[in-house]
Amino acid sequence: MSAPSARLPLIALGALLAGAPGLAAQESVTVTPRVFRRYGERVVRIQVVESGSAAKVAVGSGFFIDDRGRLVTNYHVVADLVHHPERHRAELGDGSTPGDTVAILAIDVVHDLAILQAAARPRAHFTLGPAPVNQGDRLYALGHPKDLGLSIVEGTYNGLLRHTLYPKLHFTGSLNPGMSGGPAITSDGRVVGVNVSTAGNQVSFLVPVDRVIALAARLETPGYARAENLLDEVARQITAYQDVYLDSLLTASSKTVDLGPYRVVTEPAAFFRCWGDVPRETDLPYERAEHSCSTDDEVYIAEDQQSGVVELTHELITTSALNPLRFFALYTSLYQRDNTPSGSEEHVTSWRCGTRNVRTETTPLRATLCLRAYRKLAGLYDGVVKVAVLGHRNSGLVSTLTLSGVTFQNIQRLTARYLGQIAWR
Amino acid sequence: MALIVEVLDPRTGEVRLRRRLDEGPVTLGRGYDNDIVLDDAYADARHARIVSDETGALVIEDLGSVNALVGPGPGGARQTRVAVSPGVEVRVGRTRLRFRDPDAPLPAALPDVPASAPPTPLPRWVGTWWGQLGVTALATAALAWVTWLGSYTASPGSEVAGTTLGILLIAATWAGIWAVASRIVVQRFRFFGHLAVVSTITLAGFALVAVDEWATFLFPDGAWKNFLAGVAGLLLIAALVAGHLALSSTMSRRRRWTAGLATCAVVLAIGAVFTLVEDRSFSDVAAFSANLKPFPARWLPTATVEEFGQVEGDLKTQGGCPADDD
Repeated sequence: MSAPSARLPLIALGALLAGAPGLAAQESVTVTPRVFRRYGERVVRIQVVESGSAAKVAVGSGFFIDDRGRLVTNYHVVADLVHHPERHRAELGDGSTPGDTVAILAIDVVHDLAILQAAARPRAHFTLGPAPVNQGDRLYALGHPKDLGLSIVEGTYNGLLRHTLYPKLHFTGSLNPGMSGGPAITSDGRVVGVNVSTAGNQVSFLVPVDRVIALAARLETPGYARAENLLDEVARQITAYQDVYLDSLLTASSKTVDLGPYRVVTEPAAFFRCWGDVPRETDLPYERAEHSCSTDDEVYIAEDQQSGVVELTHELITTSALNPLRFFALYTSLYQRDNTPSGSEEHVTSWRCGTRNVRTETTPLRATLCLRAYRKLAGLYDGVVKVAVLGHRNSGLVSTLTLSGVTFQNIQRLTARYLGQIAWR
Repeated sequence: MALIVEVLDPRTGEVRLRRRLDEGPVTLGRGYDNDIVLDDAYADARHARIVSDETGALVIEDLGSVNALVGPGPGGARQTRVAVSPGVEVRVGRTRLRFRDPDAPLPAALPDVPASAPPTPLPRWVGTWWGQLGVTALATAALAWVTWLGSYTASPGSEVAGTTLGILLIAATWAGIWAVASRIVVQRFRFFGHLAVVSTITLAGFALVAVDEWATFLFPDGAWKNFLAGVAGLLLIAALVAGHLALSSTMSRRRRWTAGLATCAVVLAIGAVFTLVEDRSFSDVAAFSANLKPFPARWLPTATVEEFGQVEGDLKTQGGCPADDD
């Protein structure tokens, strides 16, 4: 769990940006040690310990943001404490000094942030504020990679990612597990973002500092009180967040693509990525084509539970060699295949499914909806809608919409929209 | 006058030895030098002898034994000399001797017929070779056809042949076990009869599966359908057991069906145990009910999108609520 989870699929970027040679290299020789000496003490190691066994279950990093002992880290560093506060505690350093225990003040599960309160006043802290940077600027990420002691990683700022559900900065530099929650700063000590995840090969991601400022500001609102049970707050935030992106999904203006004789929806929103695949297997008496779209982002809830994933897959099969009965045996097996996201008993109930033959405006469909509830996050569900277009002797389309961590109303709303958007041309 | 002496077993009373007596003398006793050797601890080594008296009639005389002779008549008095004639019984030690007339009339011999088999209360054709062969061939063909329909590879030949032969082998083994049971109980193998029973039930099973698949396709929401299919499946199991018992036992029809239904009860009980265990276990695999069939779209019974929304509501109330689980 100490790892900032690799949340993006590895995408080949071609030649990786390396540190510029010459002048820049010379400069870094003098600047990097200075940044480390000057700002290192503002960064701390955070560990979450299982009280019973006194064994650490997570190690990450954090940094002080004021002189009252408030510090910032990632939500996923302290997720165990959120889920089982009775069994865990969070400590600064190696926990050897009494009074190092820290408490959670506020969380932002969607942007993967948490603000903690330390008992003692820090010797130094960062001051949050706007940090104007341009693509290509040097950034220095601080943290405890693989729990090997405070380290500094030099890298390049590459701007805000496009096509993401929530804002993320692209940092070209090697972030490693354990650096989660540490700051990425400019050479003059301004925080640009919070280390959060990596896709390997120097492709790393930061939470923009304005999200941290927003969360810190929430703490200052008069009458702010932390939810007694932080899981209620997790559920509330995820529920509020999904309305933002689900509203624009699968509306009448959604793009469509022709797949064989069918018209299906594609790229339901800008933050989706779509792929197509037509496997050429000449020894089969049928042809299969696949088109799928998925959100790249997901919201980390716990080690084995993610939310916010929306996935759309269309599988077309056609045949000229199989008779209708044999073709429909194939169609049946394709439909029956379980392609639902996995889940653990701690977090979700078992699936419950209901099936009907449904007639939309253009075509009859076989439709199944499977639903499972989140055990700890009231009002949130995973939903999978699968449909098969009926009525054709030698072609079929199996289409699946997967929604995770959404409200029941949203599942109903999107199911209805989704069924209406599959058409026979 | 000639007589037949029968030596009866002291314990069972069955005849151990028959011997024709003409004039005598014939000696009896435990000793091996006697004409009739008695395996009887209560008999002397030389216990008695049978001789003709002066009139030519046969008598049995004690030879001074410990237990003497016990003659016919009330009280079973000990005697030293008994005149024997057909119908007389004399005890020597504890062995009974019975005397018979060699010319006594006998009932006519019984005609030697093959051990009569219990009548087969199955349909007549099950007992005929053409019926057995026919139904087995039909079931094999159905098996091959169903396997072929369910396969969607380019050349399903080997798959079809392999599956068909494999299942045929299992059916033959099953029939063989019942045939051995029949051989033990009713002295008849009836292997092909048992194979015909399995084949018939298999054919009925295919029909049931086909009906169930089409019903699942046309009416995916019918809970009654699962119930009916379950009952029909159990009845097939009962029929299978009853059919085999008809060929391999002398049970009445009622008892055969009782046995068949008892088997169903066992199957149900095992199923119930599994369901109980399953219910508690968690699964993250979703069951997409399918059985899609080629069927004209315009005849297909369908719900509207709004009615499908009702399904969603049912799923939620069925126990999606997390509070139920904590």
